[in-house]
Parts: sequence; C-alpha cells; structure tokens
Amino acid sequence: MRKVLIANRGEIACRIASTLHELGLRSVAVYSEADQGALHTRMASEAFAIGAAEPRASYLNAQALLEAAKRSGADAIHPGYGFLAENADFAAAVEAAGLVFIGPAPEQIRTMGDKRAARELARRAGVPVVPGAEGDDPAGLARAAERMGYPVMVKAALGGGGKGMRVVADGAALVEAVESARRVAASAFGDPAVYIEKLLEGARHIEVQVLGDGRGEAVHLFERECSLQRRHQKVVEESPAPGADEALRARMAEAAVALAKAVCYRGAGTVEFLVAGGTFHFLEMNTRLQVEHPVTELVTGVDLVRQQVAVATEGRLPFTQDQVRRRGHAIEARVYAEDGARNFLPQSGDLVRLRWPHGAFVRVDQGFEAGDRVTVHYDPLLGKIIAYGPSRELALQRLTGALDEARVHGVITNLPFLRALLRAPAVRAGAFDTDWIEREFMAVFVPLATAPAPELALAAAVVAEALGLAAPQKSAPAGLAPACASDAFGALGRWRHPGLD
Amino acid sequence: MRADFRDGERIRSVELTPEGAGTWRVSVDGSEFLIGAEPLDGGRLRLVTPEGASVAEVTMAGSRRFVRLGNLDFVFEREVGVRRGGGAQAGGLESPMPGVVTRVMAMPGDAVKKGQPLVALEAMKMEHLIRAPRDGRIRQLNAQPGQMVAGGATLVELEEAAGEKE
Repeated sequence: MRKVLIANRGEIACRIASTLHELGLRSVAVYSEADQGALHTRMASEAFAIGAAEPRASYLNAQALLEAAKRSGADAIHPGYGFLAENADFAAAVEAAGLVFIGPAPEQIRTMGDKRAARELARRAGVPVVPGAEGDDPAGLARAAERMGYPVMVKAALGGGGKGMRVVADGAALVEAVESARRVAASAFGDPAVYIEKLLEGARHIEVQVLGDGRGEAVHLFERECSLQRRHQKVVEESPAPGADEALRARMAEAAVALAKAVCYRGAGTVEFLVAGGTFHFLEMNTRLQVEHPVTELVTGVDLVRQQVAVATEGRLPFTQDQVRRRGHAIEARVYAEDGARNFLPQSGDLVRLRWPHGAFVRVDQGFEAGDRVTVHYDPLLGKIIAYGPSRELALQRLTGALDEARVHGVITNLPFLRALLRAPAVRAGAFDTDWIEREFMAVFVPLATAPAPELALAAAVVAEALGLAAPQKSAPAGLAPACASDAFGALGRWRHPGLD
Repeated sequence: MRADFRDGERIRSVELTPEGAGTWRVSVDGSEFLIGAEPLDGGRLRLVTPEGASVAEVTMAGSRRFVRLGNLDFVFEREVGVRRGGGAQAGGLESPMPGVVTRVMAMPGDAVKKGQPLVALEAMKMEHLIRAPRDGRIRQLNAQPGQMVAGGATLVELEEAAGEKE
C-alpha cells in the first residue's frame, strides 16, 4: 500500500491523512464543488474534484470516488465515518475494483447495517439485547409496544446513528410515528423497514471499541460513555465511563469481543450498549471509525487509524489483549456550527476569526482553519476538542479551559452550550443519562442563552467599530487568551450577565 | 453614532459619543455610562469602566457582530432600516433550516386549524412538521415535494381565519 484515497471531508479526512503521512503513505483527498480549497484538500498529498455539492453527486457517488482512486493511482480507500463508510455495496465495489477497503468485509457491514439481523446475531452470541419487535404492520407493532410498555423508540432497520428515530409516548401516536419513520427510512436508506425498541428510561449509552483481524481474533480497547446527547446526537464523550463500575465494564467488553469474534470482524468497530438498572443491553454495532474515537486513543495510546491500516495490509492485529492498557481519563466535546439560542439550527458563513485551543493535554481534531467557509450542505461539525488527565476531574477541568480558550467568530457555534454543559454539577458528578440534557439541562441553558447581553458587550461592539478595530482580519493573532480572562469577567460588575450567577 | 442591534429576541439601542482621550459616553437602552477604550494588538480592546478593566474582541461579519468579553461570547445583528418580520407575527411560515420538502398536506384556499401539519421537511436526519400556528386560511404555498428549501424560506402564507379582525 502506497497511496490511500480518503472518501470523506472535514475533520475526519484531515485526521486520517495525518496518520497516513506518519506511516509514509500518500493521501488523496476528494472534494465537492462546495469544498473546493477546504482544509482536508490542503492537507492531503493530492486532491481530486468528484462532483456537485449535494452529497449524492459527490461524497455518496461511488462511481466518482472509484474514478478518482483510479486517476490518482490510489491502491486503497478509507471511508472515514458517515457517507459511504457503512455501505456494503460500496465496500464490495472497492474490492471488485482491485482496491483495498480499509474497513470490515462487505458482508459484515451488511449484516450489522440491518439492525434486526444485528440484534439476532447478538442474541445468538449470548449478548443481551434491548427488548423490541420487528414487522411491517403498524398495528402489529402497536400490539407489541402495548405488551412491552410505552414509551418505545421507532427506528429504521437500515438506519443507525439517530437517523429516522423517534420516541413514542403512547399508543395514540404510534401509527403516525411508524408511518413517518417508514417514509424517512425509505428515502434515507432505500428500505422502509422499521422496528421498535423499548425506551429504557434513565439509560446510559456506553460503547466498546473493538478491533478484529478478520480471521476470528478480536480485542477491545475499553469503553466510551456517550450519554451526553441532544436529540440522540452525541455531544460529549469520555473514557472510562462514569456510568459503569469496573465489573460491568469488563462484562461489556467481554460481550463486545464475543460478538466481534462471532462474525470474524475485520478492522475497527464499536459495539453500542444501553446500561440501565445495573445491566447492559446491545443496541447496535457500528462498522467504522467513530467520531469519538480520539478519547480511546488518548487513554490507550493506540492510534486506531494506524491499526485499521495494519489490519487491512497485514491481516493481523499488532498486539494482544493483555498488551492493551488504559491510563487516565479523556473527554471530548464536539464543536458544531449550530445556534444553541435558536433550537440548534445549523449555521453557515465564513470563519472570520478562528482560534483552536492549545495545551499540553489538549488535542484538537479540526476540519477548518481561519478564513474557511462553512456551507449548508454537510454535517455542521467544525472540529472536536479532546482533553486528557490522570483523573476525570482534571480532564474535565482541562476541557473546560480549552473550550473557554477556543474562539470562533463569523459563524455561530455551540461553544456557549458546551461551556455551560461542562460546568453543570451533574456533568461534574457524572450523574446523567441519555435524556438528561433535554429533560433537565435545557431548562438551565435556554434562559442563559436567551438572557439579554450585558451592556458592556454592546458597548464593546460599537466602540470597536468606531475605532475601526472590528474589521475582519485575514490572519488571527496567535496569542493566547488574556491571562486575566476570568478576572475580567468578574470585573464586569453591574454589566454582569444575569444568567451566569 | 447610533445603532440598533438584535440581541436574541430583543432590539437593543446603543448610542456612542466620543468624550476625547479614549473615553466614550455610551447609552444602552437609555442607560448611560462612561467607558475608556484602548486598542490592543490583534483587534482586541481593553475596556475600562468604574468597576474594572476587561478585554473584548470584536469581529464584524456582514451585519453580525461577534463579541468576546472576558470568558463569554455574544452575537448581535445590526438592524438596518425596516425590521424583517419573523415567525408567527408575519403571515408566513418559514422553513426552520435548509432541507427537502417531503410532503405538502394542504392546498391554497384551505381553512386550517391551529396545530394542523401543513408541510413536512426532512433535514438534519429528522422529519420536521411545519404546523399552523393558529386557525386561518392558506393564502399561498411555496413548497412542492422533493424541493430543496433554504433556511428561512417562506413556505406557507396564512390569512387570518374568517370572522377575525382583518
């Protein structure tokens, strides 16, 4: 393997390219019309245009990707996450074209992609699954829901990652929800099949990172907790999981490895569980690198992309289970171009001023630099900030500091939301479940986000403009945040932000 | 210098008068105070009030003003001329975000009830239903299944229900 095409964009394409370069491999970026000149194209060894802005014409266009691979002379394709990463037909087409697909075998993707088949496999591997029911008839699903008790979740059989998913509180809303979910599933996944799962109240989302050699050997790299979610989308992830004790973590890891071995899993994957009432239930298996993989990398010292490449080229794992050690705690926050004060609407625009945080124990996986443009066409993830510490408390403290240091001007982001979230006592205490943000935290955050700004902030806006300071600058200064930042806030006195006490 | 800024749902009025020697008289929503302002490097600004000093960083991006003050971030929208109507006050029902129209459940001329779903939009992995905010009659529909719409695009125009004040 000499050259790898990265069939993705944004932060994950940049992150994959950096490991490829470390390995002495060349990287090939692909880009849509909307991503011309984007950071991932600047980072790669070479870049090829693959089509129009709509994902279907570019990042989901298997034909265009294979052509770019051929033109560039790439001998392998890394799919990243999202887009075609869990598309079995694409993986098969890559292999049929004589290229290496850096990921699981096509049939493994297909099996795990059908959540009904995945549940059946988990059951057979002796892994407890979330109670649920399958079928095409809304009335039949309604009867099953009645038996297991509301609330239930309606999910697309070929879905995953929250897409097309909805919560139903009672029988009256089930039929409409099933029909709506079937429509979304048909248009998004080409198959209207849905299934229902009992909503486990107060559950925590804990997942296990696995690596398989494709021949029956598999190891785990411990778990990550991703219970801090907003509308089923993860916001903050960490390892170790505060929501499970050592014994439960070990049992989950064992179950995940059993499942990976049962399917002779190849490459990196994640087995997701819900933990409630002291036990765990299989949710689904993601056959790709996860957005939140950096927390695992920080606590184990293992570069997951490097392992993916190793398995793809050598067909074996470079280490055994007892060589994997975990040390300390890592926690990640996803920085999105979303307006927390306006129901998290996705934002677009030019990143006029952008400063990612620095620090000895802070990692930033970024997809953008100052001057880059955020468009409406794709997921609004700007980057991820990950902090490491010997203890959870110290890792949290470092992440909070890093979020304060981050500066994004030109596009509204969820940074104020993340800063408030990381300071919430429940987050500090590790006392939350997957519904906690919506059930409790939003009631704290919304008044804070919509409170009138302090008079001094408005004064700053007009004075800066009058002095000609506020004009956009091409290059942001590299200096750190003023050392007195928090003191400065304390000095705001009567202009103090009312929501912050 | 006088300017109106949208701060979330509010309009804030700011008036600035130079007093010389880096001092400014500022009035925000009628409340007046003096501040000292000293430009620092990198477009930053040191602000001195009777209660202490703080550092601000301000960036203009179109009509938006991004203000970093101490540890906090604020975004204001400079209001120019006539204010745009928004949401329920205007007659239009806007698309909350860019997306694709999946279903249209009403016709121009239809009388609709408050809460009735009118248009379904798929965006951000979810189907969003745009519902009538009140009883009324559909004046115009700017949505067809399969159509891509921008965030803020007016999809439905609603008239007051018959019998209500014009």
